[in-house]
Amino acid sequence: MTALQEITTREAESASGPSRDWLHFAVRNKKLVIGTLIILLFLCIGVFGPLLARSGSAYDFVGPRMEPPSSEFWFGTTLFGQDIFAQFVYGVRNAFMVGLFGGGVAAIVGMVVGFLAGYRGGWVDEVLSMITNVVLVLPSLAVLIVVNAYLGIRSIPAQALFIGLTMWPWAARAIRAQTFSLRSRDFVDLARLSGSGTGRIIAREIAPNMSSYLVMMFILMFGGAILTAASLDFIGLGPTEGVSLGLMLQHASVNSALPLGLWWWFVPPGAAITALVGAMYVANVGLDEVFNPKLREM
Amino acid sequence: MRRYFGRKLLLYGLTFFVAVTINWMIPRFMPGDPVSTMLARRTVNDPAAYEQMRVYYSDLFGLDKPIWEQYLNFWGSLLQGDFGISVWAFPTPVGSVILSALPYTLALVIPAVLLSWVVGNWFGAFAARRKLLDSAVLPVGYLLTAMPYMWLAALLAWVLGVVTGWFPFAGGYSFSRTPELTWPFIQDLIMHWVLPFLSLFLVALGGWAIGMRNMIIYELDSDYSNYLGALGAPNRLIRRYAFRNAMLPQITGLALQLGVIVAGAVVTEIVFAYPGLGLTILRAIQNLDFFLLQGVFLFIVVGVLIANFVIDVVYLLVDPRTRIGVA
Amino acid sequence: MRNSWRLLTPLVAAGLAVAACSSGGTPQTGGQASPGGSAPPATQPAQQPAQAGEFPRNETLYSTGTMWGPPANFNPMDEGNHATGTVGLVYETLFHFDTNAKKLTPWLAESGSWTDDKTYVVKLRSGVTWNDGKPFTAKDVAFTYGLGKIKGSAFAHVWDWLEAVEATDDQTVTVKFKTAKYSQWDFELYQRAIVPQHLWEGKDDKDVLTGMNENPVGTGAYKYLSHADDRVVYQRRDDWWGKTALNMEPKPKYFVHIVTPSNEVALGLFMQKQLDLANNYIPGMNRIAGEASGIHTYYPQAPYNLSANTAWLVPNTTKKPLNDAAFRKALATSVDVPSIVKNVYGEVVQAASPTGLLPGWKDFDDQAVIGEKGFTFNTDNAKKMLADAGYKDTDGDGLVENKDGSKISLKLITPAGWSDWNQSASVIATSAKAAGIDVTAETPDFPALLEARNAGKFDLVINNERQLSVSPWTYYDYLFRQPVNEVQNTVNFGRYENKQAWDLVQQLDAVKTDDVEGMKKVISQLQAIHLDELPAIPLWYNGVWSQASNGVWKNWGADGGANKYPAVFWRHWFEMGGFETLTQLQTNGS
Repeated sequence: MTALQEITTREAESASGPSRDWLHFAVRNKKLVIGTLIILLFLCIGVFGPLLARSGSAYDFVGPRMEPPSSEFWFGTTLFGQDIFAQFVYGVRNAFMVGLFGGGVAAIVGMVVGFLAGYRGGWVDEVLSMITNVVLVLPSLAVLIVVNAYLGIRSIPAQALFIGLTMWPWAARAIRAQTFSLRSRDFVDLARLSGSGTGRIIAREIAPNMSSYLVMMFILMFGGAILTAASLDFIGLGPTEGVSLGLMLQHASVNSALPLGLWWWFVPPGAAITALVGAMYVANVGLDEVFNPKLREM
Repeated sequence: MRRYFGRKLLLYGLTFFVAVTINWMIPRFMPGDPVSTMLARRTVNDPAAYEQMRVYYSDLFGLDKPIWEQYLNFWGSLLQGDFGISVWAFPTPVGSVILSALPYTLALVIPAVLLSWVVGNWFGAFAARRKLLDSAVLPVGYLLTAMPYMWLAALLAWVLGVVTGWFPFAGGYSFSRTPELTWPFIQDLIMHWVLPFLSLFLVALGGWAIGMRNMIIYELDSDYSNYLGALGAPNRLIRRYAFRNAMLPQITGLALQLGVIVAGAVVTEIVFAYPGLGLTILRAIQNLDFFLLQGVFLFIVVGVLIANFVIDVVYLLVDPRTRIGVA
Repeated sequence: MRNSWRLLTPLVAAGLAVAACSSGGTPQTGGQASPGGSAPPATQPAQQPAQAGEFPRNETLYSTGTMWGPPANFNPMDEGNHATGTVGLVYETLFHFDTNAKKLTPWLAESGSWTDDKTYVVKLRSGVTWNDGKPFTAKDVAFTYGLGKIKGSAFAHVWDWLEAVEATDDQTVTVKFKTAKYSQWDFELYQRAIVPQHLWEGKDDKDVLTGMNENPVGTGAYKYLSHADDRVVYQRRDDWWGKTALNMEPKPKYFVHIVTPSNEVALGLFMQKQLDLANNYIPGMNRIAGEASGIHTYYPQAPYNLSANTAWLVPNTTKKPLNDAAFRKALATSVDVPSIVKNVYGEVVQAASPTGLLPGWKDFDDQAVIGEKGFTFNTDNAKKMLADAGYKDTDGDGLVENKDGSKISLKLITPAGWSDWNQSASVIATSAKAAGIDVTAETPDFPALLEARNAGKFDLVINNERQLSVSPWTYYDYLFRQPVNEVQNTVNFGRYENKQAWDLVQQLDAVKTDDVEGMKKVISQLQAIHLDELPAIPLWYNGVWSQASNGVWKNWGADGGANKYPAVFWRHWFEMGGFETLTQLQTNGS
């Protein structure tokens, strides 16, 4: 999430439209390639891993207690004899779900608010910006705690939804600024003169011109949502149903995995989050370089 | 400039109002009210005595009035600094619980934010366009910034605390000490502060370093830098200009970061059982102590608002454009 | 950059120092904000420790696991909330209860006996003083019981059957009964902390019941020294009466009790030899307990700990189909307790006897009754019992329906975050489903659970609130207490109504506690009713969680060891071996 601020304030220069030969640079950009490979690796784990895991709930007592990694239990077992590999693969799958859904909700709300505010300007902008800023200043964790305490988050999609609903202002602000600088460009004026409506202009003219920017925004939201979910899970505000990497960390911590020597319980979920989110950030910078020739390595 | 501050203050006022209102709603619409929690703790089974205690606690928590009156009373007592009584730490007032935790959190968060910002920016600026350093700073930075706070914290506690025994890893000061203004006690405080500080600092550090590095690269390639270069200005000078310009977004970034830092502080304090607001939040959640949760939430909002305001002022001082109302 | 470092370090230090030293909470004015007394400052040293700085490690005992919030008060009358050590270290009771010998041992009392069926006479020890120097007399005892007459007092019920508590002379208390309640009175004798009349007679009722009682003055071996949000500290009193009268001396000079941190932190402190005793359930402790780690448990192998209380599955007997004893019996038979013991707890708990009586009361179990009416886990039997009782699966989903054909869907609630119970609940749900009973485990937040439990708005709940005591009467009181009120706050959560059983419970209370055979006779009848009706289903025995480190202190209580006292500082357990433990400890010289 920390990498967000660099893109929020950058002037519209990056939005002048992606160069057509970006694919050429993309495959030659080390950061993008490495980052994407790691993300794909985890995607495979999330998609195909559950097929390899034991059937039944990942919380079933399937093996001996506290078994180190072995050929039978690839990631070992928990204090209670649950299969950590099974929890891990479902956790990775759900991390993608939280990222996609949470990041997606944030991106959509952010885009709607950002485009509208930036394109329409005037009182629409005033009101939307005010709302954006209020939500932005409210510390999101505190709000999530309140919302969670109030409504109770029981499922992973619900958690993702709430995270998305607190993360969008970042996106909205940045998109507003970009839109603002695009709306006086010639091609937008032309579209307006030809009688296109607001929605059409935004969808046809403005959004495509900042598509690269939107993609990068989404990637950062994706990573941010995963980290936020992990924090929530850890303080006991996670979903009560389902498996997640954050919940694994919480269970491992509550059951003192490290002092008991069960490192195979505590290390994998944290390492997975770090690798996955880190890969997203690296890929993001790679993309930035691909889209912005100035940034490319010497 | 007046317009700039006017808008900002309006924004902060509105945010405060929204926060207080959300806040007020918490304990009132929840299943399981504090009154029955308190009653369950007192092992009374006689119906008459039970009813008497119920009235007593309802009155104590002010839950026996109509909703709108409760709302107005809430604002009233809020403005007098009265946040009610904590259920978890009954009968301590919420204000006292928070005030005793607040200094720990401030001592943790303020240095972590400022130092990570300063050091991170410095590293980032230094690394930009220096191939060797760059390839070292970047990966480390990404790893740090992508780490879940509690994971790094728990690993630090385990390695530097339990295994090596270099630093204490639990509490605000040793269980063998009583607070006093002596050098050994202060030393003890600092030792307990090191690990939680370090884990907050490290995670934040990576983000700033990367942000600054990218920003500098942008600036070094901008027209004015190229122009200066063409004029034959020394590299040092160009870098200094680039650094100054790259600073501005980093200051804005600092404001945007605050919410994240709060979250980080909460989980870090939990891992180290550090007696700040984060641990208080956890206790409040675990005990469904909504009065305490309310109070802490409000303090965090106020803290974030103040920090935002300070950043606004700093921005104003650093960026001349704001002063003439361009931004 | 260096400048910032140099500048910030002292700043931080100063900030922290202010945090720790300032009293934290500004004392609030106005009585409304702080009921029954002024607000407790976060840190208020009553007096500085003998030497400034640290408590010497080899004279200090660090323990944890009994307090989940900051020390709220030091008021022994506020049963549910007072800080650990208030009763036991500062205030004392007339007797202690020796869980090994299963008898009361005189404490503040020198002796006590029934002079007739309705009169009990307590002889007090001479030479006992309060820690303000005033002598302790029979008047203090009489005064303390007088406080029980305050409405809302935690022991108001004793006056339902007490006639009078009088100080006959300075050393003699005469207790007259309206109705003799022998078991309850024995229980009362080691539960009730005696407070000094000269300091308490001026307090108003509210202050007595919920006041903060800073600087408590008691007869005990320790004095309050200081407290903060995460700890409470006591210092040994060198003029304690027990040194000569009991020939006992607690070894630790300082007693530091830490508000329960996370298990991870507790274990870390153990490994660093900064913690001597943990009295909370620490999952996986048996993995590292043993010679190598220096972590000591009462038994070196399973079940590791003594048993402290029974965990019951309480059905709401006012709801269909749980109002049918045959259904409850089938449910009891369907629960896979062995899996809970093995998988959830790793054998640090034991499966309960069908009567639910703790191992300490094994002698009271009537094996003939158990043989005839008892139950054991067996899915097939459970299925058969359901079928015999008329519960059939009419819609073919593998789960039985009510006799009228409506669906059965039971919810088993355990508090959110109580991970061992949550897991046990899901084992129960799974095994009940296997037998055809639709049970789902749910984890509401604790206060919501309390509300549901006390108001009878639940299907199934797990509860373990009754502890080991001097008499099994306390368990039968828990199971059968009548009448069932609108709110059931402490006993009979299942709202089971059976007048005959309640009459028997009272009859049990009317048997003198030294008449074991007489008690057995009544208990045998109660057990027959219990097993026929199962108003609560015993599951497993929770342990007297006691994990001790041999790092600094040794000679912890052990099975077959020289010291057999359970090392535990829970409420009322100081009187059941916790305090005696302090006198048995030895410093580990090495």
